[in-house]
Parts: sequence; structure tokens; C-alpha cells
Amino acid sequence: MAVSAERLWFCAWLPKLPLEAVQGGVTPAAVVEEQHGVHRILLADAAATAAGVMPGQAANAARALLPDLQFEERSPLHEQQALEGLASWLERFSSFVAITGHDVLLLEIAGSLRLFGGLRELRQNIVRDLSGLGFTVSPAIAPTPLAATWLARSGRRACIRDISNLAPAIRRLPLACLGWPPGVCSALAGMGVATVGDCLRLPREGFTRRFGARCLLDLDRALGHLPDPRNAWRAPECFGADYEMTEEQSDRELLLNICQELLQAHERFLLARQLGAQRLCFVFFHLDGPATELRLGCARPQRSAGRWFELLGIRFDKLALPGPVIAVRLQGGMAQPLQAGSGELIFHGRPGAMPQRFSITQLAERLVARIGDQSVQSTSMVAEHRPQYAWRSHSVLADWSSSTRDEAPPYLQRPLWMLPEPAPLTMHDGHPVHQGRRLQLLDGPERLETGWWDEDGIVRDYYTARNRDGRRLWVFRNRRRASSWYLHGYFG
Amino acid sequence: MSASLDKLLANPRVWRGRDQAGCRAGLASGYSELDRHLPGGGWPPDALTEILTGHYGIGELRLLMPALARLSTTAPQHDFAEPGWIAWIAPPFQPYPPALQQCGLDLSRMLIVRPEGADEVLWSAEQALTSGTCAAVLLWPEALDDQAGRRLQLAAEKGRSWAIAFRPPSARRQPSAAALRLELQTNAEGTRVHILKSRGGRPAVIDKLL
Repeated sequence: MAVSAERLWFCAWLPKLPLEAVQGGVTPAAVVEEQHGVHRILLADAAATAAGVMPGQAANAARALLPDLQFEERSPLHEQQALEGLASWLERFSSFVAITGHDVLLLEIAGSLRLFGGLRELRQNIVRDLSGLGFTVSPAIAPTPLAATWLARSGRRACIRDISNLAPAIRRLPLACLGWPPGVCSALAGMGVATVGDCLRLPREGFTRRFGARCLLDLDRALGHLPDPRNAWRAPECFGADYEMTEEQSDRELLLNICQELLQAHERFLLARQLGAQRLCFVFFHLDGPATELRLGCARPQRSAGRWFELLGIRFDKLALPGPVIAVRLQGGMAQPLQAGSGELIFHGRPGAMPQRFSITQLAERLVARIGDQSVQSTSMVAEHRPQYAWRSHSVLADWSSSTRDEAPPYLQRPLWMLPEPAPLTMHDGHPVHQGRRLQLLDGPERLETGWWDEDGIVRDYYTARNRDGRRLWVFRNRRRASSWYLHGYFG
Repeated sequence: MSASLDKLLANPRVWRGRDQAGCRAGLASGYSELDRHLPGGGWPPDALTEILTGHYGIGELRLLMPALARLSTTAPQHDFAEPGWIAWIAPPFQPYPPALQQCGLDLSRMLIVRPEGADEVLWSAEQALTSGTCAAVLLWPEALDDQAGRRLQLAAEKGRSWAIAFRPPSARRQPSAAALRLELQTNAEGTRVHILKSRGGRPAVIDKLL
């Protein structure tokens, strides 16, 4: 069965990944790997190569050539992290990105061509981005993933769209770029087989018997004779990144810059997934003592590093750091789909207001960032007779649209100010007294006898009252207990 | 006599001191007697108003309600935008939603902020005023010195919002940058509004307004 023709694979081979994953910007530099107890050069950067440092050289020999050569131990962990970082970056170009082996990234790009303006544009974009991130890349495009990988490893900047052109291009490839075990390659070389074309000329049965079924399978898959399913790489959906420093820092400006860098990585992470986050947590680690946490939240899933940085700035001013910081971690909250049309909330303020105006959501976020979620609230009505339950307040960061449309009956006297708890009034001759003076009852009673179905039933007579100062108060008599009066609000 | 006087006053060559401020039309307060005493015929827009009162429950909110209700339900002219928000910063008690609704306020446009500490109150008020989304910002600062008052006045101009600061009567002796200062006093007959300072207008006393 042939592979369906509309698939197209972009392969990025990173030939210098072991060096680029660990190089800290120092040059000349080389990566060394221990082989049989001897440190040998695996890869050297351009400056070192120019001085005669070559792969396979013993580290001591290289040092003799170039005394200030910086050696880095090879780190598979860093290479893997770098690959994953690049894969997450490349997800902006395709929904299907795969990591193959330890230095190859594969993208299925047939579906992305139109969006990015054609094959040439897309290839340029990907290569430019990878180079911009500091990685040497050898690209190739082919209709099967394996062919793309082989072409990329060969260093030819091949671009084959049509599967009928694939076989001639592959036939010319040397065996070295196939990634087969060294034993197989040397045996084939001993038989005078140097290219893929030579392999294909060998009888299939004999080939399988000598070199195993895997090699023949590879050839069939590369040519598209057999399907070659791949698993897309999936990033963890929660962002987490650390920034470690070589020494403790207490310069707040520097720490803010680090946070900004982390936020930008966070934005890239979310952008690739078309997601946003509503909560973030920064953790500042100290060498001695527990870490300091700083949590941020916003009203709607958000990914813009600029917006998050603005919120961070508000809080960071007030953050007390107990000591210098050795590392900063950004822990992203649950990533959520960005709500379409969230732009609707951002209306343009009042006419003629300053251009730097922002939406009510942004205002609420700024307030919450500084003074806390519990302190910024909006209110709505609840259909309920008991005055203390006739309304509720909710966090502004909750859904804005949830406020109900219950209405208060217009004939009832209700005060504009309500006390958090009814305040007991003293009595004098059976009359309620406020601030030492007898209250004059103006209006009432309004009898509220309800709520018997739950624990908080009330039996009250409400009155409007006036005190000597002319203040109007909302008071009630608790009919459950003889002559007990309470103040519940002010007619402000 | 009065008809000819009106005619004379309508003559553009007649200069009248109280119109000098070139004040824009005010926000109608809903109390015609108060509007008559205010330049522009209402609350000064895009400015700080100070209300000095010693007590709660003497109509200090009712005085503002008609104007606030209109701000919260009607979009500003020449703009397709929604109506503005009304921010309450550090209110002394809970503004009671059923009563606010009876006064005609749109509850879904209320933002109640309770910062801790005097600095935070002023910071929040400034943020709300300059945001350009709040039509009015009511605040109850613990203290408001001359400089802070000036900042609020500037923030109100900048964000084109109406700032209303509630202050104790003792603030009367302090200088203030507010465009309008009122003092509310009560007696047996009701609440008296005393216009202490009015930019472009004159001090006045209005009895039994509320």
C-alpha cells in the first residue's frame, strides 16, 4: 500500500546539537565524550576547528593545539531538553511535530503550506527560527518521514514534493546517513555497496537474511511502499521552567528581567497550543530558608507576556524577599483554551479618555494583583426575602456574566448602607436608643417572617427610624425575643 | 421686568463672572435646586468632588444616586461604548444592592474594592480613575492631604472620570484641589447642603435638600 500523497515531511537535523545544547556562549569550545577511559572531542565549534581541533581527537591533544579551549562534557539530558524546547517552538508551524532519535525533529507540513504562504516561505521561516534560537540546522523536505530524515542527514538541502521524484534522490544517498548500525554499514561497504541505490539492487530475500528485516523495512518505508506511522510529540500541558543562577542575586531589576524571560517562554509555550493560563506562580529560591512564592491571577485565560509582566510589576514592588535569590521558577497554572471573542470586553472607555486606557478586566486584574482577590468584588441580587441574603458578592475574576437579573420590589424601603451584622441597640423605657438618644420610628413595621426551612429563619419587624441628628436608620425588632432591637442599616 | 432682565443676560456681550470658568455641562444631579447653584448645571465632570459629612445615613448617597444611576445605564455620547463602571473604594459599610437597584443603578457595573491601608485606597482610586472605564469613583479615604487630593483631581481629568471623596467635617479647614466641595449637615428639618467651594460658581447653602 502506498503512502497517501498529500503528506509532506520537513526534517530538521541538528548536527551540532551536543555542542549547542551545552555551550554557554564561550568560544572556542568543544564537547568531549569519554570513550574507553579517554576524553575525546565529539564536536568543536568553528573557532576550535579553525585551530585544528577535530572530532575524535583526544582532549589533551586538543588542549595542546588551543590552550584556552573550553571543554564541555556531553549531556544527553541537556540535548533532550533542547530538543523538546525546539519541538514546542516548532508546534507553531505544524500540529504534528515528532522527535526522532537524539538529534532529529520531524514536522508534517502539508497542512501548513497555505497558512504560511507556500513551501519556500515555510522552510525559510522554520530554518530562520531555529538558527535564531542558536542551533545549526540541516533541513530537508520529502513525502516520507524517513526519506526526509536521510536527506537531511546527507546535508543536501533537498526539497522533494512529489513521491515520483523521491526514489532517484534517495538512490544517490550514501549509507552513512541512514543511521544503520555500524556493523551493517561496514559489512555493506565490504561488499562494495556504497549508496541506497546499491542496496535496492540487491535481492530482497538475501538482503533480509544477511542484514535483518529492519533494514529492508526502512528502505520500503523511505520509498513510501509501506506506511510509516509516527507519534507526535506532546508537551506537558502545564508550563514549568526554572532559571538557575550561578550565584545568589538580590538585584530586583535583574530578578524582574529573569521573570520577564520566563514569561516569554511561557507565552511561546501557550501560543503553540493556542491556550492561555489564568494563574501563574513564581517561586524565588533562597540558599538558606524556604522559598518565596508570588501568585498571579487574571480574569480570563491570558498568554501575553506583556500583560503578565504588568501584573507582576504591581506585585513585585511589595514582595519582601527574605534574602538573595539563587533560582527562579515559573509554574504555569492549568492551561485553558483561549475564549474566542474575549476582545469584546475590551471596549474603548469613555470618549476622549487617554490612549493608555484599559478595559475593566485589566483594571480588575491590576487591583486584584495588588490588593488580593477577596478585596475586589462585584455584587448581584438574589431573590430572597431575608435582607442579609438578598444579595451576594462575587469575585470579579469569576465569570462576569453570571450576575442574575433579580429585581427588588420597588415599594419596599431599603437602606443604601447595610451593616455586615445587625448591631444590638440599647433600650430605654421599652424604646430603642441610638447613641444615647431615643429613636423616632417613622415607617413600619414591615414584617419578615421567613427562612424557617433552614437554620437561619427570621421573625422580624423592620422600621425606618430617625435619630436626633436627623440620621435615618433601618432597625428591626426581633420578635422571637422580647424587646430586642437591632440596627441593620443606614439610609445613606 | 424679569423678562427684560433675562433678555439682557442672554445678550452675548454681557459678561457674567460665573460662566468664566468655561465650564462644560455638568452631570445633572437630579435635584433642581442643587443644579441651579452648580456651574454647568450639575456635578462637575472629570473632576474631584469632596463631600464632607460627619455621619452616615443623612442622605449622602441619595444625593449622588440620580447621577450615578444615569452614568451606569447610559453610554456616553458620541461613543458606541458601553456605560461606564462605578467603583466604590473602601466604603464604610456594604452598599446594599436591593436599594441601589431601587435607585436605578445597574448592579452589573459596580466594582467594590476594599483595600487595606490608606496608601492602597489612594492607589486603587487612582487606578480606577485613570483606567478610562469608570464613569465614577467613590472613595472613603482615611486621610487626604493636599497632594493626594491634587493627584485624584489630575487622575479624574486624565481618565475623564468623576471622583467623589467622602471626608470628615474636620477637613473643612484644609486647602483642597477639588472642583467642588460640599458639606452636609443635618437638623430637625432635614439635610442641609453647604457649597463650600465651587470652581466657577459661588458658595451657597441649600436647606432641606434631602
